[in-house]
Amino acid sequence: MSELVPMSFEPKIIAFVCNWCTYLGADLAGTNRLEYPPNVRIIRLPCTGRIDFNLLVKAFEIGADAVLVSGCHPGDCHYTAGNYHARRRWMLFRSLLETLGIETERIHFTWISAAEGKKFQQVIGEITEKARAMGPYAAYQGLCQVQVGQASTPAAGLQTRKPEAAQ
Amino acid sequence: MSQQLRQTARRLLSEGKVQVVIGYAAEGRPALITKSEDADKLEWNDRCQANLAVYLTRKEVKALGKAAIVVKGCDERALVVLEKESQIERAALYVIGMACDGVGAPKCERCQVHLPRFADEMIGEAGESAAPAEGPNGLDRLMAKSSAERWAFWTGEFARCVKCYACRQVCPLCYCERCIADKNRPVVIDTSATPKGNFAWHITRAFHLAARCVGCGECTRACPAGIPLGLLNQSLAQATEAHFGYRPGMDPTAEPVFGAWSPADKEDFIG
Amino acid sequence: MSAVLSVAGLAELVAGWIGQGKLVAAPVQVGDRLLYQTLATAGQAVFDARRRPANSIKEFFFPRHEPIFHYRLEGKEIALSDVVPEEREQIIFAAKPCDAAALPILDHVFNWDFEDGFYTARRARTTVVTLACAAHDEACFCTSVGAGPEDEAGSDAMLFDVGDGKFEVRAITEKGQALFPTASTEPRRSGSGPAAEKKFDPDRVARYLEANFESPLWNPLTLTCLGCGACAYTCPTCHCFDIVDEGNAAGGARVKNWDSCQFPFFTLHASGHNPRAAQPQRQRQRLFHKFSIYPRKFNAVLCTGCGNCERNCPVGLGVLKVLEAIDGEQRRLDDKEPVQA
Repeated sequence: MSELVPMSFEPKIIAFVCNWCTYLGADLAGTNRLEYPPNVRIIRLPCTGRIDFNLLVKAFEIGADAVLVSGCHPGDCHYTAGNYHARRRWMLFRSLLETLGIETERIHFTWISAAEGKKFQQVIGEITEKARAMGPYAAYQGLCQVQVGQASTPAAGLQTRKPEAAQ
Repeated sequence: MSQQLRQTARRLLSEGKVQVVIGYAAEGRPALITKSEDADKLEWNDRCQANLAVYLTRKEVKALGKAAIVVKGCDERALVVLEKESQIERAALYVIGMACDGVGAPKCERCQVHLPRFADEMIGEAGESAAPAEGPNGLDRLMAKSSAERWAFWTGEFARCVKCYACRQVCPLCYCERCIADKNRPVVIDTSATPKGNFAWHITRAFHLAARCVGCGECTRACPAGIPLGLLNQSLAQATEAHFGYRPGMDPTAEPVFGAWSPADKEDFIG
Repeated sequence: MSAVLSVAGLAELVAGWIGQGKLVAAPVQVGDRLLYQTLATAGQAVFDARRRPANSIKEFFFPRHEPIFHYRLEGKEIALSDVVPEEREQIIFAAKPCDAAALPILDHVFNWDFEDGFYTARRARTTVVTLACAAHDEACFCTSVGAGPEDEAGSDAMLFDVGDGKFEVRAITEKGQALFPTASTEPRRSGSGPAAEKKFDPDRVARYLEANFESPLWNPLTLTCLGCGACAYTCPTCHCFDIVDEGNAAGGARVKNWDSCQFPFFTLHASGHNPRAAQPQRQRQRLFHKFSIYPRKFNAVLCTGCGNCERNCPVGLGVLKVLEAIDGEQRRLDDKEPVQA
């Protein structure tokens, strides 16, 4: 880790992982006390085949600076072919994102098996560093500002009232 | 050709072979002709832009009974996909193919399917069609820009989107009875015409058509705000052809891309 | 300032207003479409008395998306706060008379049993300057619904294209006079192109509708409708909306969004029943709302004949053809049994 990295920005990483391989791989990293950055929030799904592209869009909408999608190696899917379907989907989805100018460098795809705790640690570390260097995904987050309140008192705001009859 | 079309329609209706002829009337407006006396309303001219295949999955039209449909070569591709997806029964449909020299749409310059290939009846002769235009098209110009420029482009375009869903309603392949955009427990796509809601909708629309869109251009034509929606579909069509050698609606025997998979699918972006 | 301005003069005025921090909206050429938009610079504005934009000006009074309050989740409490209202003055410039005429019509429903403060606040801080029409197309029918190419309803001031790139200004209300102090308020005799002929009689249409809810005309006339919102959203008088909450775990906003009666789920009940499950029923409702229900309630037809519905409809439907057919049918019925005067 570079000493020059400002400590104020901690990237938020969301990882969509399959239950049978990558999630167990993350578990293995944990039981082996392999430290990886706490920036990642892991979301477990039964299979990468279940990962709807809208989940990735949602991740950016709610403020993720990078996304990881990870599952079983081709040929090892617990449901036989879920990861093959997912691979096809991602091949095309990435080209749509490129056309839209969405930063595909912030989306990472890996195959991590249940035995690859070390790989999980490495991948999370790399993604976190890359995201830290890229900075927050301001472009997408700018689209999705949620205003949770203004500094105005209720009385000062727009009043809707019934016509004279009610007064 | 209009005369021949009317004769065909009159014959099909009066003989009870079909209960509705889906065709074009004056100014290229779609018309649903159910009485043989009305067959004279049918026309064929160079303003017949609409893709009539969209009516085949509408329940009010299905309720009319057996249909005959007028198609151009581009429209017919939608029929192929609809059949592949079990939305129409080809045997129950009478396809009237029109030999088309272009209907003045931007897509016509690069047309590669001048003639319907699977019609039950062809009207008109194959003319001397001009070769498809060469050179960079709208998508090439877009992809020549940087990623940040593309983002700025689409942000500007989607700012005009009012969420009228004309793009969805006019598309022959958007036939879900309940679109994901209408789902609200939980909400997947904000219905608001905000930058967030508009990006979410257009990403979804384009991707739900990935490897299915036949490039008829109706989405772009229908958009009241003039957003070049077809560019998104076109980029996916290019990627589909490049990765899988597949062009939706061309070969009725080809396996749809998302229904299948192959261990040989090449990817260089998975670590 | 003279009451006759060149295009450059108009642009200078607009630039002045923008410089003063006012919001100015005008027709802008966007690709192959003319659209009303809020201007970033005066040079964007198009002053063309022969074309009408593909959208309407209702956007500037009744936006496509409008937060109505914000909420913040604080533990078990919910803190509500009002939207900070926009306070800048707004000027709609070179609008079509058929767009402006929609405003007094909409005023009825937005001030009916409940004053919609969002709408009325925008109306109060907006001045509407129209550009009288010098041409019409096949889709126009303003004269059939009591409007016209120089109709003053909803306008605070009106521009007239007098040729040679010059425009004469007429002030109609105090607001209009305030923007153009030297403009006369004398009504101007027409010098512009012929108005569209009347294509139907709204009273006769209303009579047909009142007696023929179940009519064999609906299906054949409206079955081609695909159920999008292009007509409703580009219509100057359509005003249906949906209210939804949008936000995340921290909070969000309750918002008001445009809605269209042509969407299949517009009348879907929580029970699953949909009283307007078929497109002809939805199309019928649109005709009824505009030409029977609203006139009965507010003495005003909910339509200004702008033709946007037909021009923007992907299948060329709109309301005019249906109205002409209904009008023709009622005339046929009248001939058989003349109406008692």
